[in-house]
Parts: sequence; structure tokens; C-alpha cells
Amino acid sequence: MAQISKNSVSRVIDFLEENKKRGGDVSLTDVMHLAEVMSGSMHDLLSKVQPAVTEELTAIAREISSMKEEICQLRANDMTSNRIPDAGRELDAIVEATEDATNTIMEAAEEIMSADTSDHEAYQTLVSGKMIEIFEACTFQDITGQRISKVVSTLNFIDERVSAFVSRLRIPEEFEADLEETAEDVRKRELILHGPQHSGEGVSQNDVDDLMGSAQDDIDKLFD
Amino acid sequence: MALDLQMPVLVVDDYKTMIRIIRNLLKQLGFEDIDDAADGTEALEKMKQRKYGLVISDWNMEPMTGYELLKQVRADSGLSKTPFIMVTAESKTENVIAAKKAGVNNYIVKPFNAQTLKGKIEAVFSD
Repeated sequence: MAQISKNSVSRVIDFLEENKKRGGDVSLTDVMHLAEVMSGSMHDLLSKVQPAVTEELTAIAREISSMKEEICQLRANDMTSNRIPDAGRELDAIVEATEDATNTIMEAAEEIMSADTSDHEAYQTLVSGKMIEIFEACTFQDITGQRISKVVSTLNFIDERVSAFVSRLRIPEEFEADLEETAEDVRKRELILHGPQHSGEGVSQNDVDDLMGSAQDDIDKLFD
Repeated sequence: MALDLQMPVLVVDDYKTMIRIIRNLLKQLGFEDIDDAADGTEALEKMKQRKYGLVISDWNMEPMTGYELLKQVRADSGLSKTPFIMVTAESKTENVIAAKKAGVNNYIVKPFNAQTLKGKIEAVFSD
């Protein structure tokens, strides 16, 4: 009668012993490694008993190996250690640059508005100088545009890899877990927080004026 | 109620630049007594200490939103008559309707211009 070889059993035991030393801290890579060891160990035994099962095991082993390759292609460590933090820093820099530019422009405008206009020559010199400051402040747009391009590039990098991985897993849509509503989601729903809308998505000031001018009965009809 | 340029106005927004913009626009319109708060909680405290002639508030702030501030103001017998204008990027129909039901006097969608702000303030005080 066919038996699992001593060497095969030994490989499984070695793996389990090694895992035991780590106190049960099992990663996805460990699980895949165990599956590879197990399928390899069973291969010798089952090839003698049932060739069809052997083919299945070979296919499983190939799938596991391919999945490992896909996981490596995700470059998850690079994403979490470098690309996502870098994108966050770029966005922080964009916020800072736009804030600095806005402050510079507003300070210039406030100085022009509060300036003494009785001395025309002095006023003209002040306005010219402040206009130059406003033009200079507007250069932020070029730099922030470049920073936004870097963030978009990072999003594309993540999108490409995650999409390829999901496609490789072939998970049917109906198998996807429902998203649980977080406390933040509840707050947004209850306090009607949508944030800014894209052009054409929200209502215009004219629409708002119409709604504000409408009788409550007319508004209620919109929800019937 | 007549528009009085001497009345104190409270501007509520968590974005300092927006407070500065509204403050400057109000000054251009002739208002002199302008105070500000960074969210609904701070605004409500200030309103309990001082009688404001007009509140101009953003919607999306933490911890207390402008919508919650509006409802609390309307529920407080001492503050309920205070004119309240919402100035916000929240531009969904349901936001406008919720604000109207809560008793807002006018609603301005960001981005807005000086003429819109002037027109809405005048409309509130001409009603």
C-alpha cells in the first residue's frame, strides 16, 4: 500500500515546529507555504493511488505559486512604506502652499484696501509693489500641479496592482463583504455631510434661491 | 427688522482663510463689529454671552456643525430670533431643504461673490 514518505512527513513537521516557535503569528505567506508543503507531501502518496488527484494537486501547487507571484507584484511593502506616505506628504505640501499663497494675496489686497489714497504717487507705488507680490504668489499653481501629478501617479500605481490582483483572484461580486458603517459614516449621514460637489452635481445658487423661496408644501412634494 | 451696520455679526467657519474673506467682504459692505468662531460649539458659547444681530455659518465643521448650531439656536428661546445665513460647499438639495426646515434665513453656496453675500444679507433684513 502506498504511503507518505518519511521525508514528506518530516517537511510538514519541520514547518509546524517552526511556526510553533513563533507563537502562532501566522502570515498569508506562511499559510501558502504550508499548502505547498502539504500538497508536495501528498503528491507522492496520491500519485500511486489516484492519478487524477495528482493532477489536481499539481494544479493547486501551480495556482499557489502563481498567487505568490501576484502578491509579490502588489509590492505592498513599497506601497505602505514609501508610496502612500510620500503621497500624503505631497498633499500636505499642496495644502501648505495654497494656504501660504492665499495669505500672501489677501495681505496684499488688505494693504491696498486700507492704504491712504491722498498721496497718488505713493499709492501707485504701493499698488504696483503689491500687484507684483500677488503675481509671485500665484506661481504656487505650477508647483502644486506637479505635486498633484505625483499623487495621481501613485494612485494609478496602486489601482493597476490591486486591479490585477483582484482579477487574478476571480472573486465574484456577490462574494464581496458588505461594508460596515463606521461612526464617521453615521455622523456624515445624520448631519448630511456630503462635502463639495463637482461641477453640475450640486444645486446652483439660483436653484437654492428657488428652494428657499418655495413654500414648504412644494418642497415636500419633491420627496413624494 | 432693519439692517443695522453697527450690529455685531458672528462669522462661524473652521477655515481661517474663509473667516478672513467674509470679514473683509463684510467690512466692504460697511459692517464694523465682526466676531468669529471656529465651530458650532464655540459659536453657541459666544452667542450666550453676547447678542449678535446676524450669524453667518459654514455647515461642515467639527465637533459641532453649522446645521447642529442652527437647530440649537432655533431651539433656544433666547437666541431663536437671531438671523442665520448658511454659507457652505454643501450643495445637495437635501441640505438646502434640511436647513430651511431647521429655520435658516438664507443659504449661500460656496464659492460665492460679494454681490451674493450682500444680496442675501439685504434679503434677510427686508423680510
